[in-house]
Amino acid sequence: MATETKKDTRTAQQAPTVTLTIDGQEVTVPKGTTVLEAALGMGIHVPTFCWHPKLKSVGACRMCYVEIEKMPKLAVSCATEAMDGMVVHTDSDLVKRGRKAVIEFILANHPLDCPTCDKGGECDLQDLTFKHGFDDSRYDFLKMRFTEGAVHTTFDDVRIGPEIILNRNRCILCYKCVRANKEAFGEYDLGAFERGNITEINAAPGREVSNPFSGNLVEICPVGALTNTDWRYKIRVWLTKQARSICPFTSSGTNTLLWKEDHQQKIFRCTSRRNDDIDDGWIADVTRYGWSYVMAEDRLQTPLVKKEGKQVPVSWEEAIDLVARRLTEIDDTKGNVCIGGLINPQLDNESLHAFNKFMRVTIGANNVDHRLDYPMLPAQGDTAYSILSSQPFSIADIDTSDVIVSFGSDMLKEHPNEYLRMRKAYMFRQAKVFTINPYAVKNADIASVDVVYAPGTDEIVVNAICLAAIEEKLVDAGRAAGLKDKIVPNSAAEAAETAGVELDDIKIIARSLADGKQVTFLVGELVARCAEREPIAAAIANLNRLFGLTDKGQVARLARYANSKGAEKLGLTPFPAPEVKAKLERIFGGWPENEALTTDKMLVQMNKEAINAGLVVGANPLLLYPDREFARECLERLDFLVVCDSFETETTAIADVVLPLASWAEYAGDYVNLEGRTQHAEAAIKPRFHSRPALEIIEQLARAMDKPLFESADERRREVAEVLAAQAVLPWPNDYFEVSFDNAAADSEYTIPVFVGDDPHHAGHLTEKSPSLSNFVSEAYVEMSIELAAKLDVKAGDSVRVESEAGKVIVPVKVSDYLDTDAVFLPRNFSSAQVNSLLMRKKRVNRVKITRVAD
Amino acid sequence: MSFYSPVITNAAEVAQSDDLHLFRYVEDPEQHNVDTYEKHGGYVAWKKVLTSMQPDEVIAEVKNSGLRGRGGAGFPTGMKWGFVPKDSPKARYLICNADESEPGTCKDRVIMERDPHAMIEGMAIGAYAIGSHLMFCYIRGEFGHCIDQVEAAMKQAYAKGHLGKNIYGSGYDLDMVVHTGGGAYICGEETALLNSLEGEKGLSRIRPPFPAVAGLYASPTIVNNVETLAAVPHIINRGADWYKTMGTEKSAGSKIFSLTGHVNRPGNYEVPLGFNLKTLIYDEKYGAGIPNGKKLKAVIPGGASTPYLKPDMIDVGLDYESLASVGSMLGSGAIIVLDEDTCIVWSIMKLIHFFRHESCGKCTPCREGTGWLEQLITRIEHGEGRPGDIEKIDDLCGNILGRTICPLGDAAVMPIQSTIKHWRDEWQYHIDHKKCPCANTHEFK
Amino acid sequence: MILTEESVKAIKEKVKLYPQRKSAILPALTIAYRQVGHLSDEIYQEISRATRIPYVEIAEAATFYTMFPKAPRGKYLIQVCHNISCALLGADSLIGYLEEKLGIKKGETTPDNLFTLISVECLGSCATAPMMQINNDFYENLTRAKVDEILEELKAKA
Ligand SMILES: Cc1cc2nc3c(=O)[nH]c(=O)nc-3n(C[C@H](O)[C@H](O)[C@H](O)COP(=O)(O)O)c2cc1C
Ligand code: SF4
Ligand code: FES
Repeated sequence: MATETKKDTRTAQQAPTVTLTIDGQEVTVPKGTTVLEAALGMGIHVPTFCWHPKLKSVGACRMCYVEIEKMPKLAVSCATEAMDGMVVHTDSDLVKRGRKAVIEFILANHPLDCPTCDKGGECDLQDLTFKHGFDDSRYDFLKMRFTEGAVHTTFDDVRIGPEIILNRNRCILCYKCVRANKEAFGEYDLGAFERGNITEINAAPGREVSNPFSGNLVEICPVGALTNTDWRYKIRVWLTKQARSICPFTSSGTNTLLWKEDHQQKIFRCTSRRNDDIDDGWIADVTRYGWSYVMAEDRLQTPLVKKEGKQVPVSWEEAIDLVARRLTEIDDTKGNVCIGGLINPQLDNESLHAFNKFMRVTIGANNVDHRLDYPMLPAQGDTAYSILSSQPFSIADIDTSDVIVSFGSDMLKEHPNEYLRMRKAYMFRQAKVFTINPYAVKNADIASVDVVYAPGTDEIVVNAICLAAIEEKLVDAGRAAGLKDKIVPNSAAEAAETAGVELDDIKIIARSLADGKQVTFLVGELVARCAEREPIAAAIANLNRLFGLTDKGQVARLARYANSKGAEKLGLTPFPAPEVKAKLERIFGGWPENEALTTDKMLVQMNKEAINAGLVVGANPLLLYPDREFARECLERLDFLVVCDSFETETTAIADVVLPLASWAEYAGDYVNLEGRTQHAEAAIKPRFHSRPALEIIEQLARAMDKPLFESADERRREVAEVLAAQAVLPWPNDYFEVSFDNAAADSEYTIPVFVGDDPHHAGHLTEKSPSLSNFVSEAYVEMSIELAAKLDVKAGDSVRVESEAGKVIVPVKVSDYLDTDAVFLPRNFSSAQVNSLLMRKKRVNRVKITRVAD
Repeated sequence: MSFYSPVITNAAEVAQSDDLHLFRYVEDPEQHNVDTYEKHGGYVAWKKVLTSMQPDEVIAEVKNSGLRGRGGAGFPTGMKWGFVPKDSPKARYLICNADESEPGTCKDRVIMERDPHAMIEGMAIGAYAIGSHLMFCYIRGEFGHCIDQVEAAMKQAYAKGHLGKNIYGSGYDLDMVVHTGGGAYICGEETALLNSLEGEKGLSRIRPPFPAVAGLYASPTIVNNVETLAAVPHIINRGADWYKTMGTEKSAGSKIFSLTGHVNRPGNYEVPLGFNLKTLIYDEKYGAGIPNGKKLKAVIPGGASTPYLKPDMIDVGLDYESLASVGSMLGSGAIIVLDEDTCIVWSIMKLIHFFRHESCGKCTPCREGTGWLEQLITRIEHGEGRPGDIEKIDDLCGNILGRTICPLGDAAVMPIQSTIKHWRDEWQYHIDHKKCPCANTHEFK
Repeated sequence: MILTEESVKAIKEKVKLYPQRKSAILPALTIAYRQVGHLSDEIYQEISRATRIPYVEIAEAATFYTMFPKAPRGKYLIQVCHNISCALLGADSLIGYLEEKLGIKKGETTPDNLFTLISVECLGSCATAPMMQINNDFYENLTRAKVDEILEELKAKA
């Protein structure tokens, strides 16, 4: 497997161990291991309810009793540290009696409504009662009941969130849900109220449990107290099978299971498939619930071809023939450079590679890009930004870092999995976390210092940190030599002032970067999507050099989409890394000669009618490209536009040919996560309706053009493996970059900085089609601080007009207490409001004005 | 309504004694004033400690005195202080446990209302011994007047330079915070107290780690009872050897006993440990016997969590080991006396209701067990018991005892088990005859 | 706003006393309770805003502790201890006597909104039993005559 994952050597140091005996077998484990973990590690089953491998032990349920010689009482193994010489029995009579007693206590007030409980078949309580419990209950009183209203029924269901149903009668008070919510997710919408035997789990009074990780609560509930509407009462669990899949919406590639039924060819749910290297078993809601777009009934069913101005259904043969014919025609009459190709980096490796080969060999044009949402991409391959983007990164290394910086990244929204790792490092290892952003982000509560700088001063903040380190002599002089002359301004104080941040905060960060033993410095989408990203990347490269961060940790820009890293490594950019390009050149038997075009440049060429045909696979540039007007104008000028998608979109609407695309769940594929780790996703069901995987479409197209791409599937796989094996990491330069800065004045009329990104419950244009996710958020909104709402005299839910120089949208207001500046946030990817129409691709900071729409 | 609790004490007797000390000035209406407290020798120990003793010496003195915790568990105080790691870079905290909520116990309140500086001085000495610069007094929220008294005393202590920065020019800083509870007996249990003080719900924590190693805010923390701490200045002033002249070999010193229930003179009495229980109940100076000449039915010797004693067991010393030898415990020193007309099952019903209500709900056996027991016991007392109920109760008690996170589970079941052992016939009578056999004359006047 | 500016200020002062802000939950609830006489979701929200402690944590803590009524009650909250020491000296009949005198059942409030009667766990006045707490004050060694007197006095004051 080609992987650039770094293994941290620090943790592999000889840790002290202890040796103990469990059920007659001796075992040696690292000091600090619990008796339970030691036993589980040996394959000895010890039953538990409240223990969770990724949460702190609380020893509440008392199910995990073991007998330890020389200890007077039964010990709870989940909270007892293994000690040298311990002799442990996990199955003695005393232990069995203890467990039975616990089950009896739990069952006393449990409704035992298994026939109508959807957890049946995968309920820990059911399973453990079966294995360890009494066969009758000695409790002969009326069971305690929580009921809504006066109706006494075991169906005491309360909806506590868009997707969560709570049945308090079934709850066994293991507190896992509340603990996970607070400890692991940092969310405060669920609680355990009252006390003693009337303790109840519930949503915070008057609120909903709708945080971006809420689905995990359902998954870890050991009984049927928490279920989700996505799955409940649709099918019995034992009738389903599972496909081992991975998340197609986030770049971590969190591991999942798709629960499916073969006869009906239906998917029923998605759950986690714990992989400690990647996800700790937690998956974001977007991962858990996103799949349901696959089962949507409004998917594109057949190819469509525009005839007399109207798109009409046609057969695949007709569509493919038409596309092949038209592309050949344009190729013949106008030249191959007149065809451009954009592909969604959520697609699998083989599709990406086939597309690359199709564009660069079959068509013979260098017009390939997968970065549809990054405006003004550099027109060469060796920029600071390219270097930064190519850096290796390891998720697990976040765990062991003692200093973690997230820069220009709304982690919760864009990198939920890494966000959780950051939280974990803070919660469990007291790592210092710093968040540095142009608007206040939600994860800031774990930050020892949360810096919010003036939009558009990104590189100045980074320079401020460097300058502070030099001024305070935190780094040795030799290292610092030469930097001061290359950057602006002259002093940390001046830089802090320009960026509107506290100098003291900057100094604290500088000190931590200097003192940190293992530093993780993460750069996010706010940098990647910035129209002037090069100076920011250069400043970060300087910072890395000054503090020697990569020598003691990692500095990385986090790839955004499920296969962004794969697309980069497979060379689906105008400027692949040198080794990648060399590999491709060999495989392709040459390299197109035309100037390599980024997404922007392709659009410009379309506008000039220098590109006449476009092939868009799986993407919706009209909704995504950060300048809607411009994108529309360009695409509409094309003579011939082919769009492959699973749904009708703004972009398919203007296409000449629309080809129905199969979803990731309908074919097997490999994906490269942001660490460079290649992972396989199995197919869960066959492609629905008449959709086809991208790979199949591209191959058919090439064949129809008489230029088959591969001789065999084996050859295709070999090629992909070969390209992936190429070194894609670009070396840091040996000197500091110049970083200059000119402070553009704010527009007069439009004063409020606007940031456009993803809602935490959505990613890409497909999730809008997931009914479960739409239960959380189904339309665009403008998110603002309490103060700004007060200033604008609007409240949550009010309709407002958000207007920029480029365009306007009308959206409802969302007020968030963690925002504390005037900047506003709007989620893209909702067809309810095309928020990309507010953006202009060349503008570094887009600004808007907001007015209330009279009702 | 008087400001002080009108509770009877044996202050006069204590004042006559050379050794008894906790109650010496509790009938002096000005004792809560710092000037009066100082006049009576207050803050001398604190000054001595700060100006002439090393923390280790303080710990050694308290260790040698044989002082044991008066909050219930009776753990040797000096030894506990010694558990605080010497090399921890973290802050350390001393907490005075003034949550006094164990039914039958009303002794700490007297100290806080009438002699609050004794507690504060003891806290300060304890804080110094463990290297703490911030100490808390966790007072149950219902004790409005105690809270006022302690806060006022604290302000006076600050004003007089007994607390604050650079105390007595020693360079030692010490701050104090009065923290008030919200109505939860469990918050007297030290780990639940820590959670409560941290702003969590008062759920008990699993041990280890012990608070002395990782307590409040995961820092080394010592929790001591009010009475324990109030004894400390006297030990410093008069020495460990003096303290040991009182009490028995393993139970040194004196202790306050709250004598309640069916006695003629309910009250708080300070006596040396080892004092005879029967004397305390019947002597005219103390309980003065059972009202209306009634006979004794049972005694709960150490608060609602301790096993009952039968009348033939009360000729026993009030000290840790003697009470253990008759199958009970000294506990918090709350002696509850039940006369012959009182039903044992009725009294147990009162207790289990309390423990069910006060269970924090974290661990299964305590949460579910106390609820189940309350229902069973209530139905027996109401004449609705079923054959087998007593055996079931006994068995459930066994499934709780020693199986819970904190000792509340044990506290709930030990009294029950003791009464099933000693008064099984009375339990059985309820079931066989479907009624309570006792007069239960608990009318108030 | 339910909480007065004074209460909010007092709450913010409390936050400063502790090494970690969450510790101020109970003091904050106490201040709110003393001002309002009971607690509610809105109050938790206001405390949350004043202290920047998550709302749910405040609600969880508030419901855990039994000292704070969670709904409006009469001007005088009469809490009678019903635990063992008080019960032995007639707490149950004291409750009965109060029910009779006030014309309400335990858990109810008099129609004039003056008295709410409840029974509670041990209040640490065991040697001066039976007893009751009315708002912040303890009344001990109760007799019928004393109870009559106390109620008269309170009515007169109201
Ligand atoms: C359920 C329970 C309630 C307790 N309540 C109190 C209390 O109200 N006051 C107290 O001082 N100790 C109480 N304790 C004992 C404390 O946990 C702790 O042992 C004591 O405060 C230590 O102080 P000491 O060593 O001075 O006795 C309680 C223990 C338990 C298990
Ligand atoms: S709802 Fe489920 S996870 Fe939460 S405490 Fe109850 S049983 Fe445990
Ligand atoms: S798993 Fe150990 S107590 Fe619950």
